[in-house]
Amino acid sequence: MIRRPSSTVGFALIASALLGAPRESMAHDPASPTAAPEAERHQVHAVVNDFSLTDQAGRPFRFQTLRGKVVLLTFLYTTCSDVCPLLTANMRALQQSLTARERQDVYFVSVTTDPEVDTPSVLKSYADRYKVDFSDWSFLTGDQRSLEPVWKMFGVKVERVARGLINHTTLTALIDSKGVMRLVYLDAAPDPKRMLADVRGLLGQQ
Amino acid sequence: MDRLYAQRCIGCHGLTGKGDGPTAAFLPATVPDFRETVQRRSVTQIRNIITKGKGMMPAYGPALSGREIQDMVLMVRFLSQLDRSPKWWERFEPLVWAHCTVPWEVVLGYDDPPEEDKR
Repeated sequence: MIRRPSSTVGFALIASALLGAPRESMAHDPASPTAAPEAERHQVHAVVNDFSLTDQAGRPFRFQTLRGKVVLLTFLYTTCSDVCPLLTANMRALQQSLTARERQDVYFVSVTTDPEVDTPSVLKSYADRYKVDFSDWSFLTGDQRSLEPVWKMFGVKVERVARGLINHTTLTALIDSKGVMRLVYLDAAPDPKRMLADVRGLLGQQ
Repeated sequence: MDRLYAQRCIGCHGLTGKGDGPTAAFLPATVPDFRETVQRRSVTQIRNIITKGKGMMPAYGPALSGREIQDMVLMVRFLSQLDRSPKWWERFEPLVWAHCTVPWEVVLGYDDPPEEDKR
């Protein structure tokens, strides 16, 4: 459960209150535009609780270990043919834009919305096609029981349409070094320059 | 077959395989026109790309059955023919399936033997 420090209200409720019932962008939803307007960037303040999943190498991964780093976390699945490739490409562009010094304090996380297909090896192959540097980027999977609380914590709705075809909320979260979610991007393709400025803004606050 | 194409491919490759789908404009890479790429590749090569992915294109091997992958290959090869679109397919699909009992590779014309078969 993500909650503001002073309350136990879930993120979805926080988001609704802050955003005025935002229109959710769902991958593979024909009603969703491919690229949402830039206005789909919202400030929030919600603590991200620890969770444990498995990374692309099959190793256990605990979110808690990223404490002290600014984290950019997104949700995707490898056979997505519309929004997820844009998200991954943008994150990679952002990773490459950071200086070596900045990259020591930033970490990227991609969480699957399709555990049925996205095994660690499938995630590894996917990331390899994007030439991802795994030194500061993990692709996470797990069983349905492990992933559902994570999706729920970030307010991500996941709906299986068919094998390898998933409708899911398009959400990227920027989390500060204390584990507090500070910004969410609901765009299908968040602007990497905008995100870079946001990441550097948080790094400057450390 | 056309349902599979609509669900998995049309966003980038477009209605007629020209690489002009609604997502293509936002990608940092150019989506090729099937007429310039598929035509130059063997069935095996196309199947491998669909199965294992290439660049930003997803790998469908882990998600789809062999038959579904084969249908994708067929659709992609079909669209690579000039001036053909899914509307053509909707019109002629029943006829093709009703009267065609030979392997689909033969219907579409043989490719060069796959690389592994040349050895």
